[in-house]
Amino acid sequence: MSDYLPIELAGSELWLLADKAIYWPEQRALLIADIHFGKAAAYRRLGQPVPHGTTENNLRRLDALLARYACRQLIFLGDFLHAPESQVPATLARLAEWRARQAQLAVTLIRGNHDRRAGDPPAALAITVIDEPLLQGPFALQHEPAPHPTHHVIAGHLHPAFRLQGRGRQSLRLPCFCIGERLSLLPAFGSFTGAMDIATEDRWRIYLVGDGNVWPLARG
Amino acid sequence: MTGPASTETAELAERWFASRAWQPFPFQQQVWAAVRHGESGLLHATTGSGKTYAVWLGALNRFAHALPASADRPAPLTLLWITPMRALAADTARALQLPLDELGLHWSIGLRTGDTGSAERARQSRRLPSALITTPESLTLLLTRADARQAFAGLRMLVVDEWHELLGNKRGVQLQLALARLRRWNPGLIVWGLSATLGNQPHALEVLLHPGSGRLVEGQVSKPLLLDTLLPEAIERFPWAGHLGLRMLPPVIAEIDAASTTLVFTNTRSQSERWYQALLDARPDWAGLIALHHGSLAREVRDWVEQGLKHGALKAVVCTSSLDLGVDFLPVERVLQIGSPKGVARLLQRAGRSGHAPGRTSRVTLVPTHSLEVLEAAAAQRAVAERRIEVRCAPQRPLDVLVQHLVSMALGGGFRPDELLAEVRTAWSYRDLPDGHWQWALAFVRHGGHSLTAYPDYQRVEPDATGLWKVPSRRLALRHRMSIGTIVSDASLTVKFWARGGAGRSLGSVEEGFIARLRPGDNFLFAGRLLELVRVENMTAYVNRASGRKAAVPRWNGGRMPLSSELADALVEQFGAAARGEFVSREMRLLQPLLQVQQDWSALPSESSLLAEVLKSREGWHLFLYPFGGRHVHLGLASLLAWRIAQRQPVTFSIAVNDYGLELLSATEVDWLQALAPALSSRDDLLHDVLASLNAGELARRRFREIARIAGLVFSGYPGAQKSARQVQASSALFFDVFRQYDPDNLLLDQAQEEVLRQELDIGRLERTLARMQRQRLDLHRIRRPTPLAFPLLVERFRESLSSEKLADRIRRMVAELDNAAGPGGYQAAPQNAIAVEREPERPRKPRQRKTGTPRKAKKQIDADPSGGHRP
Repeated sequence: MSDYLPIELAGSELWLLADKAIYWPEQRALLIADIHFGKAAAYRRLGQPVPHGTTENNLRRLDALLARYACRQLIFLGDFLHAPESQVPATLARLAEWRARQAQLAVTLIRGNHDRRAGDPPAALAITVIDEPLLQGPFALQHEPAPHPTHHVIAGHLHPAFRLQGRGRQSLRLPCFCIGERLSLLPAFGSFTGAMDIATEDRWRIYLVGDGNVWPLARG
Repeated sequence: MTGPASTETAELAERWFASRAWQPFPFQQQVWAAVRHGESGLLHATTGSGKTYAVWLGALNRFAHALPASADRPAPLTLLWITPMRALAADTARALQLPLDELGLHWSIGLRTGDTGSAERARQSRRLPSALITTPESLTLLLTRADARQAFAGLRMLVVDEWHELLGNKRGVQLQLALARLRRWNPGLIVWGLSATLGNQPHALEVLLHPGSGRLVEGQVSKPLLLDTLLPEAIERFPWAGHLGLRMLPPVIAEIDAASTTLVFTNTRSQSERWYQALLDARPDWAGLIALHHGSLAREVRDWVEQGLKHGALKAVVCTSSLDLGVDFLPVERVLQIGSPKGVARLLQRAGRSGHAPGRTSRVTLVPTHSLEVLEAAAAQRAVAERRIEVRCAPQRPLDVLVQHLVSMALGGGFRPDELLAEVRTAWSYRDLPDGHWQWALAFVRHGGHSLTAYPDYQRVEPDATGLWKVPSRRLALRHRMSIGTIVSDASLTVKFWARGGAGRSLGSVEEGFIARLRPGDNFLFAGRLLELVRVENMTAYVNRASGRKAAVPRWNGGRMPLSSELADALVEQFGAAARGEFVSREMRLLQPLLQVQQDWSALPSESSLLAEVLKSREGWHLFLYPFGGRHVHLGLASLLAWRIAQRQPVTFSIAVNDYGLELLSATEVDWLQALAPALSSRDDLLHDVLASLNAGELARRRFREIARIAGLVFSGYPGAQKSARQVQASSALFFDVFRQYDPDNLLLDQAQEEVLRQELDIGRLERTLARMQRQRLDLHRIRRPTPLAFPLLVERFRESLSSEKLADRIRRMVAELDNAAGPGGYQAAPQNAIAVEREPERPRKPRQRKTGTPRKAKKQIDADPSGGHRP
């Protein structure tokens, strides 16, 4: 077991990472979905106390991945900022510091539903912001899991999780990658996000993430 | 000593009773005398015995002629009447109005509840009525008015109706805090509580009047009570498990047929829906003559049913605790209780709903839903005969209620911390509030807790230049007013008929999680009707009438009530008697063959022995243990035992509990013969071990849901809130995780833990149960198949888990099992020949992916989940 698992998809090799991201060696690209920066800050702005530390945690994990996997580009598959109230000085300052540390990296954001309300990140962050899909190699990179006529879709948005059921009536719920014929999903990266159980009848190949590993699930 | 009332007017009460040719009861005269002397107190009497007129006429005696009043300018606000249910308010108003009219007193009566319309609210904001009937929540809301002190300046007396309903919960604490404020404004305030039967009346008196004292008046009016059981013909065909009891339908129909009006009490709302439908299916001719009543039905529907009951127009009403309280329905002749009565006080309360007409006795008939409830019925009879009545205790300093109160008081003209602290400490539940907790609560409402001090963007309450703490934001003020209260429910959807060009009639509300599992076109049973889901929009489920048979029944997430200690002890005595071969009652004789099976396959529990059974099945290694401590205690015990055993070997347990016992199930081998005795008799610190087991499990996370809502962490939304408001709704499970990771010292987390200990696990009762178990002889049996006692646990679907295995090991094992599964190898509770079990038909559940306009994925399920909920 290791903290990543290479798979082949649409003729390209992708690495599914245990920290809920995809590394694409051929393009030296890191794909991240649903990071939801500033979600806690938005809650606080609206009068609901949430401790801080979630932004730091997200950035720390992002830095760790960028240090471990040689990346030329970083692509956010939507929901970069959580809400308009997320554009607060403290959060944006942290993001700017981080961007300065990773200055040589090309960063792209494919707008998601939250980004449309929250607004684009400030230009100072030097993030290329585009609407979906981003066609790259055999893939259509999107936020919403809508099918694409010619390309294999890689999307986020759903925050998928899977419930394992075992003997002795045990069960365990873990975030997962869902790999399909024409459409694949990433788990949500953000540390202050929940998850949604995916339908068991759908014909996904499921790769669970948990305890620093990626676990392929052999299912019918 | 006559106080403000002169001798000539002191006889108002006596005069009115005489005019109606009524003879006052001694307890009524005692209350009149006490109020005349300005005393406070608690009146304990059964429903329908004249409690209302004891306090109301006492008040009129003292105040009616002491205040200036005329027809066009009635007396100023003098009396507050607190009722736990807004449904009771209108009936109370009628009862209070009656003597006013007949005595020609210029007093006005007003209502102020969540149902009060805006015109009436506006009128009240100009001038409050002489007597105002309200709920604890609405009272707190009134106290948030900036001119509250002025508005309540004339208040002289406060009455709390059904105090026993409030005493033990956070609504009662909210009322204590409101009372503390009113007493500070008027130290001479007279306070009376009205209470039904409780095992600890002095405590109820102390909490209500703290820090003062008062008089306990006992109403001596006891009505004769008949308690019996509707028995199945033969026990062999009666199920071993299940909770519907529909096999008893024919005899129940016969009983209803024979009486003029019957109340059929059930323990859950879904059970009431099923029984109502089953009765109608069996007796189509009863359409229009029988009705359904539970808390999720629309107000108009409930009103209609209550009116029908009052006028004797209904033959039967299937209901839940929604009809436990309230005015008396004179025509009710019989009360049936479907399933376990759970407690003696509750049974007496329900029994009291019948037989109000003169010369009648109260009669309640128990209807068992599975075999062992027959024994429970025998136990209930004995406990009632011996008057073993449960106690209720007020919560100790719940911080979530305090936090909410601080914001409320900041709205009500602002507060100065020192003054407010002194005031709060006069409330019984906060009498020992430590300074540290107070400082924390202040910091929490100001900055959101210690960890948030660096954030200028969050503030609910701020001190102004003079040191007065206020809420600066109008938006937050509005939002706080909307969420005052301590009753927590799941997000619910209104159910309305679908009509072109707008909504049709409203039927009531169901939990979002239930609707989320349905697709448009699916049928479900609600409000006694078969409905088809049309669409879901803006928190409303639109439905049409449907025909056909297959329908889902909503489940509401109400907490399941545990069997009380009093009833559980009586039950063990019945088992003990059976073990000694004594089969005296009708119930016991009927149950004898089943108890014989239990005896032959294993053994019978008794007062002196603790029965344990171990079973190896293809599911794994089971332990069944029967401490008879009630489901909450069993959950605590099961976690404790699981944790202690898990300290010795890495293992994962699935836990099931019911009122009789608990089951621990492991997929890997556990040598129960070796492991059980040391885990039971361990001298290790009990509290430490229970806390540790709590952290290993999921209970505290679930408890946090209620705390988060009351403390204002989770906002349940404005009525009719648009989608954008949803962007700030996260599940409390997610909050719990974020707090635990980033702000582990937050006191609300401590409170979650404390409340789990006290309420969910009932630590006091757990300690007593464990002490008793250690005195008992452990009677351990290896069983070859599940016994009558084990079977209900085996088929229990709701389970907890506790693990000491490494996460990676658990995943590896479960992934491997999935790989090996040649077919559908999962657990199947295949009933053996001798076992009958009543089950609800399982419906296939189809979670959905689409999110716009159509129902969402089950929220309930996500909420209860470790990884937190999410709405993409």
